[in-house]
Amino acid sequence: MQQKMNQTASPNLDLGSFESTIGENLLDDAKISTRDVNVSYGDKQAIYDASLDIGRNQVVALIGPSGCGKSTFLRCLNRMNDTIPSCKVSGKLILDGEDIYAKKMDPVLLRARVGMVFQKPNPFPKSIYDNVAYGPRIHGLARNNAEVDEIVITSLEKAGLFEEVKDRLSAPGTSLSGGQQQRLCIARTIAVSPEVILMDEPASALDPIATAIIEGLIDELRQNYTIVIVTHSMQQAARVSQRTAYFHMGRIVEVGDTSRIFTNPRHDMTENYITGKFG
Amino acid sequence: MNQDTPLGGHISKRFDNELEDIRNQVLAMGGFIETQVTNGLKGLFESDSEIARRVVEDDDKVNRMEVDIDDQCLKILARRQPAASDLRLVIAIIKTINDLERIGDQAEKLGRNQLELVDDGAESSYFMKLEHLGELVSKMLNKALDSFARMDVDEALKTIALDERINAEFDGLMRQLITHMMEDPRTIRNVLRVSWCARALERIGDHSKNICEHVVFLVQGKDVRHIGLKAQVEMASE
Repeated sequence: MQQKMNQTASPNLDLGSFESTIGENLLDDAKISTRDVNVSYGDKQAIYDASLDIGRNQVVALIGPSGCGKSTFLRCLNRMNDTIPSCKVSGKLILDGEDIYAKKMDPVLLRARVGMVFQKPNPFPKSIYDNVAYGPRIHGLARNNAEVDEIVITSLEKAGLFEEVKDRLSAPGTSLSGGQQQRLCIARTIAVSPEVILMDEPASALDPIATAIIEGLIDELRQNYTIVIVTHSMQQAARVSQRTAYFHMGRIVEVGDTSRIFTNPRHDMTENYITGKFG
Repeated sequence: MNQDTPLGGHISKRFDNELEDIRNQVLAMGGFIETQVTNGLKGLFESDSEIARRVVEDDDKVNRMEVDIDDQCLKILARRQPAASDLRLVIAIIKTINDLERIGDQAEKLGRNQLELVDDGAESSYFMKLEHLGELVSKMLNKALDSFARMDVDEALKTIALDERINAEFDGLMRQLITHMMEDPRTIRNVLRVSWCARALERIGDHSKNICEHVVFLVQGKDVRHIGLKAQVEMASE
């Protein structure tokens, strides 16, 4: 992978200067580029000057202590923060050359392109089938019921759930186990053919076996999607991601290949966090 | 790595204690190994079979220390899943005690050769040829353990440089011994024994060098094995 410091990701867009984060936060040909992103909730600033590139078909893990801004940053990537009136976002956030915060960008379409999976599985109170079919129907991705069927089946297959639920697609989504519900939510996200999947602690409510299945799934999904995952489990970040970004008090302290971050971090704060020391 | 508290500062005090404890055991093992090598040489130089026998017997203690520390490292890996400098410490310890154990084996060889020579009824003056090599090797081992104890990269690199002197000394000694054997083939049996001891000492130098390389890895996270001294110094100072 080609990694360069201080290089603009797209020649058409001036992404501004950058100097504070250490490591390899910028990439050539990134799927998502962010530059000097500042986020505040009212008077309280949550993110300072965050510049990070998300590589194509990569899993990028965002780690850091509670309240460090990693979830806020994640939610900026598909404008989930728009729903919070006091939230202000400035800086550049670019998805494949398009400004995520541009006026002409439709947040609903954006969220289809940049899907999200949450900490707690949140299936709709509908059948397994309808959970997955909902998105393609409202986005008009299928012309007829046969096409919806096909999307539902392939999505459930990609999420590694189809074999377990194929005989009870009309059963309520909430009747599944926690791990299955989370995979159902992933299937629901995949069903609208996103380019990027954001995951906010997708396995923290799951047991180790369900977690292992989700992690295996993340690795497979990487072939077709770009994934950004927020996790409190450092082992999980080490297992599933190719790159890791360490957040602290609203700043991105260090970014690098996951194997380097977990064996030889350069910044003392990263070192202290991942070794469990007092910062 | 924070030089003041290289191991401490974890939110879990118990983890601090576990790491400190395991490090102390490595230092104790190192100290014991040093005594083994010193006594192995003493047995040879002073024709003291009593000391030589004790060195041979005590190798078992060395082996047990290695198994013990290894076991604790395994438990730390399983229970704590250490990362970054903690992970490097545990890995460096696992490798270091392996080198220490093998240094112990070489010390045991010194003892065995002394005992066998005495069994043969031969005089031990042959072994005096090893005196200079023995001094160099003892010094290198001491400095290697010192650099480990203080996690001192500069000291480790200086110590690695000693290995070349040891190798040169070893080569010179082997030439002498070969000449000796050619001149008087009746001495071959005993001179061979001296050359095995020389080889054992030279190997101790190699293992000491390995320990120093583990120190560089532990402190800086850089793997400086198999690249030659010049590149090692350059890489460590980057």
